[in-house]
Amino acid sequence: MLDRRLLFVSGKGGVGKSAVSAALAILAARRGKRVLALSMTDQIGLAAHLGVDELTYEPVRISPGLYGTLVDRSHALDEYLGLQLRMPRSIPTRQLSNALSVLADTAPGIREIVTMGKPIFEVWREEWDLVIADAPPLGQLQSYLAAPQTITGLVPTGAVREQAARLETTLSDPAMSSLLLVTTPEELAVQETREAIAHIDAERQILIAGVIANRVLDPLGLNRDVVAATPDGPPRAAGLLHTGLVEAQSVWLESIPHDPRLPFLFGFHTPGEVSARLAEVCESFA
Amino acid sequence: MTRETKTYIITGAGGVGKTTISAAAAIRLAGPDRRTVVMTVDPARRLADALDLHTLSNEPTPVPGVSGLWASTLDASASWEGVVHRYSDPEVADRLLENHYFRAIADRFPAAQAFAATETMSTMIESGSWDAIVVDTPPSAGGLDFFLAPSQTADLIGGKLLHWLTGAQLPGRRFLYRFTGRPLLKIADTVLGGALLEDVAEFLLDLRTMYDRLAARALTIQRYQQRATTLVVTTADPAPVAEVLRFFEELTEVAVAPAAVILNRALPLEWADAARRPIRGIPDAEVRGILKANLTRWGGEARRQTTAMEGIAGRYGVPLLSVPWVSEPPIAVESLTWLLDGVDGLDAFF
Repeated sequence: MLDRRLLFVSGKGGVGKSAVSAALAILAARRGKRVLALSMTDQIGLAAHLGVDELTYEPVRISPGLYGTLVDRSHALDEYLGLQLRMPRSIPTRQLSNALSVLADTAPGIREIVTMGKPIFEVWREEWDLVIADAPPLGQLQSYLAAPQTITGLVPTGAVREQAARLETTLSDPAMSSLLLVTTPEELAVQETREAIAHIDAERQILIAGVIANRVLDPLGLNRDVVAATPDGPPRAAGLLHTGLVEAQSVWLESIPHDPRLPFLFGFHTPGEVSARLAEVCESFA
Repeated sequence: MTRETKTYIITGAGGVGKTTISAAAAIRLAGPDRRTVVMTVDPARRLADALDLHTLSNEPTPVPGVSGLWASTLDASASWEGVVHRYSDPEVADRLLENHYFRAIADRFPAAQAFAATETMSTMIESGSWDAIVVDTPPSAGGLDFFLAPSQTADLIGGKLLHWLTGAQLPGRRFLYRFTGRPLLKIADTVLGGALLEDVAEFLLDLRTMYDRLAARALTIQRYQQRATTLVVTTADPAPVAEVLRFFEELTEVAVAPAAVILNRALPLEWADAARRPIRGIPDAEVRGILKANLTRWGGEARRQTTAMEGIAGRYGVPLLSVPWVSEPPIAVESLTWLLDGVDGLDAFF
């Protein structure tokens, strides 16, 4: 999972993508890798789980070997035009990107290719052993993964087209890139994950490194009937909730039987605490 | 037949249970004398089965077993086709509907899905055949898109991009892509490889013919949104709570203040207190020990939830409605019916 150069982490919204991204980045850095954790969305989730107030466009050092950054839309377009496309200096990149940012709001694939381009560009720079990208949620991931193809289908010639083809090559190279999907043991999350796997496999867009089931409850250690037989009150109610949730999650865990599980964390308050604990758990399988 | 329609907009981040709450609210509202429709977005399969929703369609179908309740699942493409037919000339409409970009935008642009949802809601209100409409919003931007979409869509069509691509005056279709005196376009052309910008400009020009009518429409939609009862759903997890804050902070411009915050998967705070007291009435020490440890964990979660939610409702002066965390996901009509039973403060809304 951590052996390739680029790892995308996605899943249905709210399943804990940022926590898992941060945990894996912390773990990889602890193993001596030079790691860049990169947020592809505007949200502050990854920053919080890395234990910093905010991430900036310039990578910041978080701990030995661990750096964090984010795709900032306006900067990313500048960088895409200036560095990734190697536009000559004489061209007013800033002006062009201002104009293009309006286009990016409408034309399919532009916003996505710029965002997808950033982590791949970081891999090409050869500065990191591993880039972990906290990717957009599953609902949007398809249009991001498909962006290089969308662009090559749309733009018949030119630098953008060549760049898109190069991005596609890196993405689909199983020695370079892979995608990790995070789910919770619930109907909607598991189903969306399975549908995404089927689609991505069919399109051969990227290697799927695996699925992680997050927030899995341990069994209570008591039979539900035993709990139900105790007198009414909070101990019984909490016991019934727990055994009921464990029963409900088992159905969804059965459908992803061989994948690693991360525990539901009771009593952890800050996102930083959560990712630190998850990094310890990930040690056993990542 | 025209009725006074009550509209409810259920919003919030993805994955917090908006669709479930919407369905449960609609079941409460519906009755033999109260025709109610719930407009869902992407329901979980078992919930879709319970509501008998099997295809994307803006046409509501009756929900089996609930008198007076209909349901639909947003079909954004169909909504946009309706918009194009209603607000543009027939030959422009045909050209737009065949346009590659139109398809791509209607399917992928998150604000386009949100606009489709607002348009469909408005059409339902105008049909005059509903007493209550419950709208489950698309989750993009934590539901904010649903409120921003009318003005954003109008801006897009009347806006900067078209101006930039075509110059100050609206040219005839044939002349829209002239490089003379437009060096930026020349650069964009080398980067993007020619035909792309021309296609986009042509598409936007067609869309532009709808602008006046669409801008007027956007204002009407905003009025419907302002008249609706907006309820924002969240769990106590940090990410959706941050979305709720954004909702209250960033929505002042369109001025649709949520009437309440609904906390889904709420745990009773009394568990936190009960966990500190000795457990009585359970003679078996092992059972007692396990239940005590379990109550301590869940009581801690209850305390954490309260800390997370306290202040939000108070700061914005809206009630907090707590929907209990249940172990079996409420996906059948019966469990949806009792999900909201006993939720304090709910009667003021449903």
